[in-house]
Amino acid sequence: MRSTLRFLTGIGLFLLLWEIWARWVMPGIILPELGTVGRELMNLLGEMTIYHAALQTLWKVLLALGLVLILGIILGLLLGLSTAFYQMMRPIIMIIQAVPVVSWLSLVIFAWGIGWRGPIFIAFLSLLPMALLTTVSGVSNLDRKLLEMARVYQVPRRRVIKDIYLGSLIPFIVAIVDVSIGQTWKVILVAEYLCGSSGLGVEILSARYYVNIPKVYALTLLAVILGLITERLIKLWLGRVSHRWQPA
Amino acid sequence: MAASVDIKQICKAYGRLQVIDGWNLSINPGERVAVLGPSGAGKTTFLRMVAGLEQADTGRIQMSTNRTAFVFQEPRLIPWRNVKDNLRFVNPSADISAILQQLRLEGFQDYMPSQLSGGMQQRVNLARALIIDPELLILDEAFTSLDLPFKLTLIRDLLDYWHQKHFTMLMVTHDLKEALYLADRILVLSNAPARILHDFPVRLDEHRSFSDPELLRHESQLLDLMYDQMNKIPPRS
Repeated sequence: MRSTLRFLTGIGLFLLLWEIWARWVMPGIILPELGTVGRELMNLLGEMTIYHAALQTLWKVLLALGLVLILGIILGLLLGLSTAFYQMMRPIIMIIQAVPVVSWLSLVIFAWGIGWRGPIFIAFLSLLPMALLTTVSGVSNLDRKLLEMARVYQVPRRRVIKDIYLGSLIPFIVAIVDVSIGQTWKVILVAEYLCGSSGLGVEILSARYYVNIPKVYALTLLAVILGLITERLIKLWLGRVSHRWQPA
Repeated sequence: MAASVDIKQICKAYGRLQVIDGWNLSINPGERVAVLGPSGAGKTTFLRMVAGLEQADTGRIQMSTNRTAFVFQEPRLIPWRNVKDNLRFVNPSADISAILQQLRLEGFQDYMPSQLSGGMQQRVNLARALIIDPELLILDEAFTSLDLPFKLTLIRDLLDYWHQKHFTMLMVTHDLKEALYLADRILVLSNAPARILHDFPVRLDEHRSFSDPELLRHESQLLDLMYDQMNKIPPRS
């Protein structure tokens, strides 16, 4: 109850600062007043196109996040289990991590043109190294004594992975999701803006094109709200799923 | 069925430090063998080699079983699994209630390891070993960290269980009384590089008591023997 109150106070404080800034510190078109943005948001919510755009962005976020989690954890597990494989793959991970997003963007536009594949691919590549390296560090933090115990009792590998590896990796998976959700939203929106054919990023591009600043803010607000809701829902789901691996 | 263990000329070194130096040993099915020796004499290394967790540099270990249970010095329970699931981890098809009753753990099956005292965790460690119906049970200073009343009841429970199943037992301990209470053969080791100095037979009734004068006589005999034998060993060049 108290944490909800603090959360709402934080939001209230943010909105208050916004209004002060828009009215008295820097009045003009760069930061419109809250009322203007609110009206624009209401207008947007009255149009079907915005729901379609939000859904377009949402499925891309979920797909990119799913791919990052599934492939990042499986590959990270393999990399963590084999030092040789990790040493071999590390330069590739470093290269993927170091390549600027704009370079990926150019390649994506050459390869697929404007469309849905580019944003997903870029979000996936941006977040994969983090997921891989976090999982590898999770595997290296595994309690070797538990693995030794399983070896003495000749426990099948499948049960060892389910009961020991997964349990040890849960805090790391939670950390990956924590970092990834917000990042995926941001990257997908940027990629849609630059090489997408539909979604909230494309709507922001269109608003910018017509110099409709309140609409840019309204769309951003919508993206932020959707991002927070997705984050909350995914964390709730993850909390339920990971409950089996929590030590009391 | 109980396991037999046959050890021929095993040696083990860590770098330049020779830990085990040419051990020969035969353990018959159903025998209870305790290993006593100074710290760093390779006792745990020896148990780990028998359990297949480490390889001997030379020599060989032959066993008539692959159903070996190991009661580690620390409980090694899976922290995110309750007692019942920790036992099921090593044997999903076992009758858990019987072993819980045998080791006085009824009512604790849904407890998480962090909710149990150190003594109870060690009890679960032992239950996990016994639930696979072992042919060879290895105990590595399994009762060292327990307070005396807890230790005594757990040792008694283990011995009661052995009387029902007659598996082979191989244990390492620093406690002479514990060794005399549980074992029917005690191996006394030298300092590293460890050699078996003496193979001491325990000639006591099967149903033993810590206050039995005969057990106490064995204890002083064993102590004399340990000091005497260790003084006879010339320093290695």
